This record gives sequence, structure tokens and C-alpha cells, in this order.
Amino acid sequence: MYAGIDAGSRAIKVVLIGDDGFEIIAQGQVDQGVEQDQLACRLFEQVLADGGVCRSDVRRIVATGYGRNAIPMADTTITEITCHAVGVRHLVPDVMTVIDIGGQDSKLMRLDRNGKVRDFAMNDRCAAGTGRFLEVVADQLGLSLGDLGPMAALSRSPAAISSMCVVFAETEIIGLLAGGRAREDIVAGVQTAIASRIVAMAGRNAESPIVFTGGVARISGMETALQTALGRPVAISPEPQMTGALGAALLARRQHDSY
Amino acid sequence: MNEAPRQITLREWDDRYERLQTRGVRQPVYGGPLGRHVADGDTRLLKLRYDSSLAALRLWNFLLTEEDRLRAARDAGKKLVGTMKDLGTVPVMAYSLDNLVAFYPDGAWWIPCVMEVNSGLLQIADSLGIDESFCPVRAMLGAFVTGTHFPIPDLLTCSVGATCDDFSAIAQRLNGLGHPILWWEIPHRRAPEVEEEAVQLPGDFSAPKGQIEFVQSELERVKTALEDLAGQSLGAEALAGGIAKANHVRWLLAQLRHLAFTATLCPMPALEMLIAEMLAIHFCSDQDETIVVLQELLEEVNLRVAAGTGYSSADAARVFWVNPVADLQVMNFLEDCGGRICGTEYLFAHALDPIPQTVPPMEALAQIALADPMVGSAADRAVRIVAEVRRFGAEAVIVSRIPGASHCALEGEIIGEIVRQECGLPVLEIEVPPLTDAMSPTLRTRLEALVETVENRRSR
Repeated sequence: MYAGIDAGSRAIKVVLIGDDGFEIIAQGQVDQGVEQDQLACRLFEQVLADGGVCRSDVRRIVATGYGRNAIPMADTTITEITCHAVGVRHLVPDVMTVIDIGGQDSKLMRLDRNGKVRDFAMNDRCAAGTGRFLEVVADQLGLSLGDLGPMAALSRSPAAISSMCVVFAETEIIGLLAGGRAREDIVAGVQTAIASRIVAMAGRNAESPIVFTGGVARISGMETALQTALGRPVAISPEPQMTGALGAALLARRQHDSY
Repeated sequence: MNEAPRQITLREWDDRYERLQTRGVRQPVYGGPLGRHVADGDTRLLKLRYDSSLAALRLWNFLLTEEDRLRAARDAGKKLVGTMKDLGTVPVMAYSLDNLVAFYPDGAWWIPCVMEVNSGLLQIADSLGIDESFCPVRAMLGAFVTGTHFPIPDLLTCSVGATCDDFSAIAQRLNGLGHPILWWEIPHRRAPEVEEEAVQLPGDFSAPKGQIEFVQSELERVKTALEDLAGQSLGAEALAGGIAKANHVRWLLAQLRHLAFTATLCPMPALEMLIAEMLAIHFCSDQDETIVVLQELLEEVNLRVAAGTGYSSADAARVFWVNPVADLQVMNFLEDCGGRICGTEYLFAHALDPIPQTVPPMEALAQIALADPMVGSAADRAVRIVAEVRRFGAEAVIVSRIPGASHCALEGEIIGEIVRQECGLPVLEIEVPPLTDAMSPTLRTRLEALVETVENRRSR
């Protein structure tokens, strides 16, 4: 069997797949922390135990994600761009565009008919339009991440959020709250602003079917905001937070087979 | 070439330098161990990796001693001309006169990188109202105020018009600080109307004859100022000779680029190639020495190609790079991530084209000035990039944005779209500030992902 470890900025995810590359034997995730390699190691051991397998059964391990270079147990590393594309393609075979919004960055991958990445775009260096941005907004409004979707659904008039910088947006939200703007309008405005940023990345090249993955895909309302901004359907990937680790495991298998 | 090429650290270079010295290897007058530049405050040099050849050592020492050489030139009675926002036109005139040395104050944009923002130049620019919303070339203002990075020139020229808005603002601020500037206008290059006489320019551009005549008249004003400063006139014959010499530099660079970008194994790293190309625009204050430096580099590259040695593997991703980077370290990342340089367009492609020698010299300079990719549309620039991408067989394109640079706001999208459409290649846009340390993991991820994308596309 093969393993993929996605050391993201907010969580570490592990997926273990069988030799056939179709069966997921076990998977798990843990919040990211200071001692990333140890966290990953413990999670990996836990996933092995959940799957009832030994370390020696795992033929190859690929690490991906922001912290991929700090996972010593991995045989190699592959970027999250390639891994998410492979993971999503495995789950949604006809996908042509993958939108991945994680804790720290957002990406858009255009695939070819064979499922290979044709081109990609990634947000700039800051946390603008990412999960971290949503966390800051939720904190400021006294909400949990899970509250954001239901709250946004109540909005009849989303606020215009002009700044995608976390620091400036905080100031802007304080101003909106002081001006009596309802929280639901602010949340809906933030989701719309994030979606607009993705559209800017996509340009005129977002081909359908479009699949949304990454941790932020689990926050309800985001896919609606993306659909509205893109003007076409956006499907949420099955298990969006795990697609990077799944892709890494699938690539581990491919690499092993090619040796 | 005695050894296989390697990329080595500055400390490794200094050790190597010591060994070479004991073997009696001779260095030019500005030569020496690279480590001495760190003592001058250029701490970023400790983080770079350098080509291990003597030719590369000479290139680096040439670059890093420019200030000393300029001061020595002044002491020797030469007059200094600061040619701002000029990518390879006025220096050709200046070097056609015996006692003028032209240099490029805009080159100060690398000082915040090389000195890791400890130079204080950006803070001075801030204090003058030229803040970080401007291109890092604003460091030039600080250099003029402190007078510590280059001598204050005897004459300052600056092109204006269809050039960077922020550079014009910076230069205007400089003018206001008591550094008088001789402005010369360059219009936005446009396609000729049906009824207008068209002139074919280098780079496959064309422009109305009227625009050429206008630029020529502007350059005549600059020529007069240079003659006044030099105390001698610049005749057509002398200028033709200067053009021939500039063309020799361009020819050397053309050979170097062709070999570096087309050899099976990349014979010279991206960083050294960037520095070498930069010599085209102002000769790093010494045209004769530029020729020697480039000849040595070319010789080294020829030997490597003949020996089949170089950097990277034969299947390294072949990357075309658009725009120079404010942080030199990023060029090292390309090889780290499995790529190799395979074509460049660092905003001065016209300075690599031969200056026409079949028309009168002033007209030729006007033509080359109007062939500047910066003075036309981004779409025009993209067309030239597409041609070069095809010529060198690049597999991906990186458009590197310069924070604050007005031309970077939209050009990346236009260039990206045209390259994708015409070549079907992946295009990656990145932003490179003077120091990328905080963002280097994400920057590397993008470069690695680009290399993976190229590899995956090959296996389709």
C-alpha cells in the first residue's frame, strides 16, 4: 500500500491507499503544530493502526503541502498543486478546473483531458482570500468557522468588502460593524470578495466541470459565492480536506509502479 | 575550464580563490575574493550561489566594484553621465566620446537586496514621499542623497514619456532635490497609419517615420549636452564606431545567450546570465572591460558545451523568464527547483538587438530607442516573447512582477494570455520584492509546481 501526507498550514492529513489505488484503507488528520514532523509521525502511526497495517506494508510515502520538506519519513515530496489535481481527478474523473482554498493560500489548476495539470495560478504571498482570512473574520465577528455559512445565507444585501488584506479587512469590518451593518451581510460580503479573487485568478480560462477542494470548501456558502462569481456550477469535492493527501498517495503508487 | 561547473557559496569561492592565488592565477585590477564585498555591507552575497568559473568571478567582481571604478574614472579626469531610464541608447553616445563614462543610477534598485535593506536607501526614499507603492528603483533617490553608492554624475539624463510612471515620479523628485536632469521624450510606439511612412525596427516592430524623427531630434539634444560636457564634438564617424563597439557587446551576448539557452545541459546558471545580460545596457561603467568579461564568459561556456558539462540534468524544465528580479536569490531557486533558464526578456530586449548600421547613426539610435519593449504595448511585448519562447524551445514562462512598478500592474495578465494562446505553455506569475526570505517557501512551491507541470505535460 501507499501513503500520502499533506502537511498543510492548518492541519496535517494522512491517507493510506491499497495496492490497487482505489481503496482508501485509512485516513486521518490532526491540527498543525510546532513539532510538525512528530505530529505527522504520530498521525501516520495512528492511521496505520486504524487500517490494521504495519509500517513495512507501506511501499512508498509522498509528502505534500506547505510543510512537505519537514516530513523525514517521506520518500519524496510533490507540491500540493500536483497532488490536489491528482486527488480531485481520482474522485471526479471529468474535472477540468480545480479550485483549492486552504489555510494559507488559494490556487486554481486547469487540467487537460488526461487529468494532468495544464496550468495553474496561486494567490500572492499574503493570507488574502484564504482560510486564515476567514478565521480572522469569524473571530472578529464572534463566530466559529462553521457559523459562517448559515450566517451568510441570511444576508439579503452582502456588504462590499474592498480589502482582501487580513489587516486592512479587520479595520474595514470594524468600520462596517460601527456603521451598524449586520453580521450576515459582512460574512456574505467576505465570501463574495474571496470568490471574486478566485475569479480574477481564473481569468477567462476556468473550464467546467469545476471542483472546489481544500479546507475552505467545507465552509458552507463558499461554493455558492464561487458559483455566483464564476457564473457556472461549482461542485465540492468529496472529502475536500483530504484530496491533497489522497493525490500524494496516488502519486506514491504511480512512482512505485514506474520504478 | 578545468573542473566540472558547480554552484558554490561565497565562502567556498573565497577558499577556491586562495587556492587559485597560490597557483598564480591572475586577476584584473578590480579582482579579488568575493568575501571582501560582504565587508562593505553586501550581506546578501552570503546567501547566493555562484558559478565556479574564473569567468564568473570576474563578472561578479566587475559588477561589485562599479562604484570604485567610477570614482577612479573621475579622479582620472573623466566626466560621469548618469543615464536614467535609458536601456542602452545614451550610453552608446557617451562611450563614443573619449572622456565620458556613462552609468546607470537606476541600478541602485539592487542595493536594498544586496545589503539586505540595511543601506537605509528605501527609508530615505520614504522620507521624501516616495514610499513602497513605488518600484524598488526608488532606492536610487537614497543613493543620490547619501552619495555613498555612486559619485554624483556631472550630467544626468532621463527618458520620459512612454516609460514607467513611477520612475518618472522618482526622477522628478530627484530633480526637485537639486539634481538637474536633461529630459528627453520617448513617445509611445504605435503602429503606422496607412498613410504614414513605416520604419521597420529591431525586434520586428514598426513605427511611423515621424516618431523616429521625433526621437532622433530628442537624442540630438542629448548629444549636444554630451558634447558640451566632453568638450569635443561627436561626429558621425565616431558615433558609428561607438555603435559598432556596442554591437560587438550585443553580439557577444547573443552568442552567450544562444549557447546558454540551447545547450543540452545548461552551461551557465540563471543568475550569472542575468548579470551578464545587464551589461548590455550601460556596460557597467566600462565598455572595454565589458567586452573582456563577456569574452571570458563566452569562452567558458563554449568549453563547457564542447565538453558536454553544465548545470541541471538534460531533462530540466526549460523556463523562459520575463522581467528582472529585485532579489537575486530567486534566480538560484530556479535551478534548485529543477528548472533551467531558457530565454529571457528582462525589459531591455532591444539592448540585445544589433543597432542598425545601414542608416545614419543618430537615426539608428532613434530606431533602437523606439524598439524598447517598454515603450510599446504589453501585447507587442508579448509577441516578441512568444517568438523568443519558440526560438529557444521553452516549456514554461515565468512573469516576475516588480512590486510597485507601474508596468507590472497589468502586463503579466496580457503576456500570460498571449503566451498561453499562442504557445499553449503554462505561465506562472510571481512577485519578487527586494528580499524574499519570508515568502521563499511559497515561491519555491510555485517554481516546483511549474517544473512538475512541465514534467507531467511531457508524459502526456
